Formats: sequence, structure tokens, C-alpha cells
Amino acid sequence: MTLKMHEIRELIQLIDDSSIDEFELEKDGEKVSIRKAKPEVITQQVAAPAAYVPPVAPQAVPPAPAVQETAPAASAPAEESTDTDLHKIVSPMVGTFYRASSPDADPYVSEGDTINSKSVVCIVEAMKLMNELEAEVSGTIVQVLAENGQLVEYGQPLFLVKPS
Amino acid sequence: MGQVLRHEVLSVLLENSANFLSGEEISKRVGVSRAAIWKHIKELRNEGYEIEAKPRKGYRLIYRPDRVATEEIQNELSTKLFGQQIRYEPVAKSTQILAHQWARAGAPEGSLVIADEQQAGKGRLGRVWYSPPKTGIWMSLILRPPIPIQQASHLTLLASVGVSSAIINQTNLPIKIKWPNDLLLQGKKICGILTELRGDQDKIEYIVLGMGINVNQQSDHFPSELKEVATSLAVQGKQSYSRASLIAEVMKELEYYYLLYLEQGFEPIRNRWESLSDLIGKKITAKTPQAKVVGVAESLSSDGSLMVRSGKELITIYSADIDKE
Repeated sequence: MTLKMHEIRELIQLIDDSSIDEFELEKDGEKVSIRKAKPEVITQQVAAPAAYVPPVAPQAVPPAPAVQETAPAASAPAEESTDTDLHKIVSPMVGTFYRASSPDADPYVSEGDTINSKSVVCIVEAMKLMNELEAEVSGTIVQVLAENGQLVEYGQPLFLVKPS
Repeated sequence: MGQVLRHEVLSVLLENSANFLSGEEISKRVGVSRAAIWKHIKELRNEGYEIEAKPRKGYRLIYRPDRVATEEIQNELSTKLFGQQIRYEPVAKSTQILAHQWARAGAPEGSLVIADEQQAGKGRLGRVWYSPPKTGIWMSLILRPPIPIQQASHLTLLASVGVSSAIINQTNLPIKIKWPNDLLLQGKKICGILTELRGDQDKIEYIVLGMGINVNQQSDHFPSELKEVATSLAVQGKQSYSRASLIAEVMKELEYYYLLYLEQGFEPIRNRWESLSDLIGKKITAKTPQAKVVGVAESLSSDGSLMVRSGKELITIYSADIDKE
């Protein structure tokens, strides 16, 4: 049988658009199983989910399908506006998101703050490497998308910025 | 200017500490008058050096105070890169802050900031690192690794391997690494490593590797809240150690593992880390910012995270304080 990558992709697309939750295909000892991720937010966000799955669209959308045992995506930050002119600052690595340099300090940035490309917006920490993330854009923070102390994924959006 | 010459006089004396050197010989090597040499010898004595002077024979260095100034370290360095540029401050707020400033001003890779005392030594997340004068090694090394940002956390584990190896070479003490990079002796902290990265979403600008090593503190030097959790090499080894020699050794081992990593990747570092850690196979509690995980530390994964077996689950730990049961 041996499915090609594009065929698997096509299958995922078909199942995504359908009302099917789970799909299995077994032939000649080869097995493909595709299951939609559960939509509920998981409480213990310790295990590393696979690649970050970006939220597809707001409310009432079938959950994104996941192949095999892929863990549920990190709690998807609500993306209310579909503004395409907003810049997303994304996490460069898997780690813990900190909004301030210490528990007692003020956050580096808050909604409404003006930033420039060299402004430090947060720390992402993994294995005690403290990554002080620079904004890379100038503008205004529109929304903070992650919570202090949350485990964030590679590529996960952390801030929405309206570029100036 | 006077200071530079004094360093040169000291270097000449250090290189020839087995023999007497005449004032004339020293003045020829350093390129100043004999009267100036005499002035510098007097100043070195004021700093704590004991220099024997004999008529017709000259000068000989017989005692070096345990200083961590540039010339003391450069004299023992055997590296190509690390510690080739040193900035020494008798007192600094934090070597991390100075290293960040220096890195932003363009300091080359391997540049090192050392302080004899830190008034506000930086720990992780705003914690303070106790750094009294003349006892420990408080320093920050600037790196500019040509690696993707996602792999940068390898360097925190690499640092613990390099510093452990250096301490073991110099003291023979049984250092153990606690994940990810605390160094322990008899279960108490001997060295903390703070790694700060500056960069944007896809590029490392620079990394500052901060290290605090408790070297010559006596147990009554530690404030009461640290006594149970911290110790020093002197307390454990029952002797004092030369901080300058240890710094030179740390630079050598760090450079060795850093170049090995750039050439062969994380695998050799991981092997060495696992052999220096006493965590693998042990029952642990990991307090992460999200949850508390109890299980058995199974292995170090290829990104440096800790794999913990908790019941049927295999959990990946990226951020946590680890306690052995």
C-alpha cells in the first residue's frame, strides 16, 4: 500500500473537513490512524507537545486533526481579530514564558506599550537558558497571547504588535 | 599606564619565580628605568605580594596573594579564545551587567569579566547570588556561537560539564551535576551558572555565561539561610585553592568542550553530562512552573531536556527545580 506524504496530507484534509473524529486504514500490515485532537484545554502542560499547531480560526471550528498519538496542541491563544497587518512575535524555542525579569518586577511590556525593535519583550527559559527576546519590530503591543509561567512551543505567537 | 607596567613587572617575576632577577634585567625586559622598577615592586608589595630582594642578586617572587586580576590569570592561560580578553573589577554590581554592556559594544567571543566582589550578584529570575570579596570566582564569559537559537540551551549543560571538569582536575573533589547545570558537593551547591541570551526570533546576538564558584569560603562565611544548601571547595577539600589557577583551568575546559560541541554536536557533551550527574535512574521531584512531577529521571534528551518516567507517562522537563527523593 505505502501511502505517499501528499496522500496522507490529502486524507487529513478530507477528515478535517468532515464530521469524522477518528479514521483508521489497515492494509498489508501497514496501518494509518488519524484522530482529531480533543478541543478541551489540558490542565497539566508539562509534556512537550509536537510542533505548535496554530489556531485555525475563531470559535466553533472542528478541532484540528492530529496524526497518530500527537499530543493536543498547547492551549490556543484566542485570536480575536483577523487583522493581517498585525505582527506576531513568536517564540524562538520551547520553554517557559516569563513576562518579567523576576517575580517582583514589572512586566517588560504590557498591552498598549510602545516598543522598538531592540525592546526586550519577554524571557523564554529552557534548561536555565534565559532568552531575552527582542521585539524585532517597532510599534504598539496590541495583545499578550501567553501567560506568565506557561510552557510555550517553538513558533507559538506570544505578542500581537501593531507596527508603526 | 603605571598599572600596565606593574602588570608587566609582575609577569616577569611570575615567569622567573624560581630564580632571582636583577633590577637591571627586569628594567631591560619591561623597558623602564631601575628606579621605576623599584617603585612598582613597592606597589606590588602593597597589594600583598611578597618579593624577596637581595643585594647583587636582585628580586624573587616568593608569595602570591590569591588575586583574580587579569595578569594573574593571563599568566596561566593555555587557551586560544576564552579569557584572551579580560576585564577585571575589584568590586562590581554584577559581572553579568558588565558583560552585557561589553558584548553590546562588540566584545569578541571569549571575552571574560571577573570581579573580586559582587554587590548584587545575579541569580536566575531576580535571585541574588552571594558573592563576598576574596573568596569565590564571580565571572561572566561572552559567547557568539554559530548555532540556531533552539539549540542554545545545549550551552548551559556544556557549561556545567566544563566547569565540573576543571574543578575535578584542580581539586579531585567528587563534583556532581544537578539538572540542568548546578554543581554540587555532598548535595550542597558549589557553583551556579546563569546563561543569558540576547537575540531576536531567529538569531543569537550573543550569550553571557555567568558563573559563581564558591572557592575559599569557610563554613561560617555563609549567611545562615545558605549554610544548609551551599558549600565551598575549601570546606570540602580542607585546603584553600588558587582562584586564578582555577579560572585558567575553567577557561581551558570550557573552550575544549565548546570547540568539541561546534565540531561534533551535543552527543559527546550529553555523554559526559550523564556520567557527571547522579540523577539518571534516581527518583526525583521536579517542580515546574506548571506542575509538580514525581518520577524517575530516565535520560537527558538530545535538546538537553530531562525525560522523567512518571507511571506510564514519559514527561519532558524544560524548566524545573529538581529534588532527589
